[in-house]
Amino acid sequence: MRLPTGQISRFGNLKSLLQRFAFLALIGLTFALMLIGKADTILVERARDAVADAVTPVLRVMSEPASVISDFVNNLHELAAIREENAKLREENARLLQWQSAAQKLESENKSLRSLTSLVPEPNATFVTARVVADTGGAFAQSILITAGQTSGVRKGQVVLTGEGLVGRVMQAGQLSARVLLITDINSRIPVLVGEAGNRAILAGDNSLRPRLLFLGNKNAAAPGDKVVTSGDAEAFPPGLPIGQVARVDEGAVEVEPFVVRDKVQHVRVADYGLTGILTQQPAK
Amino acid sequence: MQTTVLQRMDNTARRFVPFGVTLMLMLFAMTPTYIPGLSHITPMYALMAVYFWSIYRPDLLGYGATFSIGILEDLLSGTPLGSGALILLLCQRVVFSQQKFFNNKPFGIIWLAFALVAAGAGLLRWICVGLVASSGFTPPGQMLTSYLMTVAMYPIIGGLLARAHMKLLAQP
Repeated sequence: MRLPTGQISRFGNLKSLLQRFAFLALIGLTFALMLIGKADTILVERARDAVADAVTPVLRVMSEPASVISDFVNNLHELAAIREENAKLREENARLLQWQSAAQKLESENKSLRSLTSLVPEPNATFVTARVVADTGGAFAQSILITAGQTSGVRKGQVVLTGEGLVGRVMQAGQLSARVLLITDINSRIPVLVGEAGNRAILAGDNSLRPRLLFLGNKNAAAPGDKVVTSGDAEAFPPGLPIGQVARVDEGAVEVEPFVVRDKVQHVRVADYGLTGILTQQPAK
Repeated sequence: MQTTVLQRMDNTARRFVPFGVTLMLMLFAMTPTYIPGLSHITPMYALMAVYFWSIYRPDLLGYGATFSIGILEDLLSGTPLGSGALILLLCQRVVFSQQKFFNNKPFGIIWLAFALVAAGAGLLRWICVGLVASSGFTPPGQMLTSYLMTVAMYPIIGGLLARAHMKLLAQP
């Protein structure tokens, strides 16, 4: 059956009217959601957890090819440098053996001294290892999604590390996945100690590759090459975790180069030090 | 001619290609590439896909689909909920309203127009996130680099999308 042209244009009009209405309604909805996101953060966080849990398996599969290629390229690099590496490792091994004997001596000395001073031992940490499946946020937020959640014992506020140093802390924990706020994120503030003198400061991210030091007594308190470690203030992080080293001291700012190269991170460890940091809402049971 | 059930299923599946491809691109933007320095300046892949389909197949990617992709992106990436969806919807609206302009234009013009649309989208997103997020405005440098990456990547992504369009949605 063929419709008369008048009827077609009327249908067309109705369709474009509906489309315009849908557009306006959805724009209104985005503004409403922005307000809800500001007002009711718990509801939005639950939604984020649920979506992250659902999508993590997909992201895990999608991240596989890049991971395989990266491993392959790394292997090639390693093969090329294998002789050099071997010589270097032998040398390092000899040096480490010396350190080992020194450490053993110090440990026994430490033990005997502790028995004298009745020191309360620091709590032992438990670790969960997880894969990084998504690197999200781009220019607006610096966070990663990992493949371990509450079922593996991951909780909000826990510390995330690699062998090199601090990555960040758990910002949200779903059942099967968790979001980690990186130390470079604009919301990240970490109490730190700088250099051998141990000057106190706050390490603040600004979404760039290098976070900055704030509230450092004076600018001379930091020099390029100074190590930056967590101070353990505010109970959010245990003291002494390596973060990075001072890269540049400028008029206005002290920049820190993190030890962890974010783009190379494939696996992380989530550490539970039993701390009731500022990010947790309820104290750990 | 009567269509068989299989044909009808095939047709339905094909109608979901624009949505599916846009969704995959949005997720692809989040997967780690292990290339140093890239994760800070990820291009806005979803924006490219929404722009492309809004020009060539406005019938198959509606406002509802675009909205859901934007919301999903916001939920996953930890950006203020609604900010990503808003700019995708506005981008789509702009393209829909200029349908006559985009008709049969050479690629260079489409690319140039994309550079403009992406600039507006990037700026608006930056303002939106800055106003809504508790951390305030992010340094504009990264947004600018991300924008330049987005414009630079469009020919590649646009080419791939055009292939998908011709292969899967070729009109008889």
